[in-house]
Amino acid sequence: MKAKAIKVLIAKPGLDGHDRGAKVVAHALMEAGMEVIYTGLHKTVDDIIRIALQEDVDVVGLSIMSGAHVPIARKYMQKARDAGIDDKMVVIGGVIPAKDIPQLKKIGISGVFPGGTPFLDIVRFIRDNLTHA
Amino acid sequence: MTSLVEKILNGDEKSAARLISKVEEENSGAYTALSRLLPHTGKANVLGITGPPGAGKSTLAGRLAVAFADSGRNVGVIATDPTSIHTRGAFLGDRLRMKNAEKKKIFIRSMAHRGYPGGLAKAAAGAMYVLEGLGKDVIIFESVGAGQSEKGLFLLCDTIITVFTGDYGDEIQLLKAGLTEIGDILVVNKADKPGAEEAKKDLEAFSSRVNTPGDWHVPVLLTRADSGEGIEVLTDAIKRHWRFVAESGKKEQKKKEKLGLLFIALLKEEFWQRTQKRLKKNRLFKDVLSDVRSGKTDPYSAMQKVLDSLGTTNI
Repeated sequence: MKAKAIKVLIAKPGLDGHDRGAKVVAHALMEAGMEVIYTGLHKTVDDIIRIALQEDVDVVGLSIMSGAHVPIARKYMQKARDAGIDDKMVVIGGVIPAKDIPQLKKIGISGVFPGGTPFLDIVRFIRDNLTHA
Repeated sequence: MTSLVEKILNGDEKSAARLISKVEEENSGAYTALSRLLPHTGKANVLGITGPPGAGKSTLAGRLAVAFADSGRNVGVIATDPTSIHTRGAFLGDRLRMKNAEKKKIFIRSMAHRGYPGGLAKAAAGAMYVLEGLGKDVIIFESVGAGQSEKGLFLLCDTIITVFTGDYGDEIQLLKAGLTEIGDILVVNKADKPGAEEAKKDLEAFSSRVNTPGDWHVPVLLTRADSGEGIEVLTDAIKRHWRFVAESGKKEQKKKEKLGLLFIALLKEEFWQRTQKRLKKNRLFKDVLSDVRSGKTDPYSAMQKVLDSLGTTNI
């Protein structure tokens, strides 16, 4: 039996059209030996749930620059529970004010990485916190 | 795994996704599950798409998937991208080109090829059987995308489309084995770009197989995957080819070959895995390897030495 490769979905929910950050993070995770899928822009939460389910990823990373991170995170977690994929690690990156982090954690987001977080911190967080990979 | 098989046969996508992961991990329970799924397979139309990077394979695969879904078919897509030889990571970027597929109940699975030769991942055959078990009756494979040594693709598919663009190179490329001979349908994508018409003519000249009556005539079609132009003509050609392989008995014949070759490929891989494990513990192998690296012995005589020590039995 082979060691499982860590599979990560980088997703862009909602209307914001900035994905440079999402792409460079995807590249950094690939360089760290992970298999990374990028959804492309303007995905609905339903799209993202479906992709995460079909691809059977270990980690879902939501990249949000629009300021709507709290409602999107809440909606995602609810739908993930409905679809039975709430066992996957969920992290959020983007423009996230420090004051919102405790609330996101409470909703069920494992890690929050505001712009400027070193790539290595994200890689380490994923490796250290994945229990089933 | 028993319940996983039941759930897949009842159309549960999550279980199918999970089993494909287990096949990728080479879990022995997953192989047992595949054995149980196999009797439910063999009826789907399997389409392969290959061609050089950037030719538009993913966009075309997405268009075709949506077109077949719109005509009432139940579509699955398995898209393969390369694994980095340096980091073993992969960026799986095919799916994002397949616009609208999410809305059409199309099941897409992205796979890193993990160094496996033949244009597809090692788990591709298994994933195909899982998707068939899930009820998919059209399965589209997208290869890593070289188009020159796509044995895996050839093995699994009823129909192969090779995608070119106007700037594919010159006739010398077309003389090489692989690129044109594997395609049952040749497509010149990005038909709005300069050189597309000429490329079509070149391909028509070089793809003409020695045609005996009743043989398949390889069509060369112009498409624009971005706008959808030419997709209808292409789906018609694909359906014609499916009828052709069914009526000529080629599908049945290939199915038998496919199973035989799959068996040999599995066996070969397993033999090598086991031998590797044995070699890692073998003192002589380690010594010989370091001798080869330091130049004390050459790789050819080193190979002979290790083979002699292993013997031919007891693999």
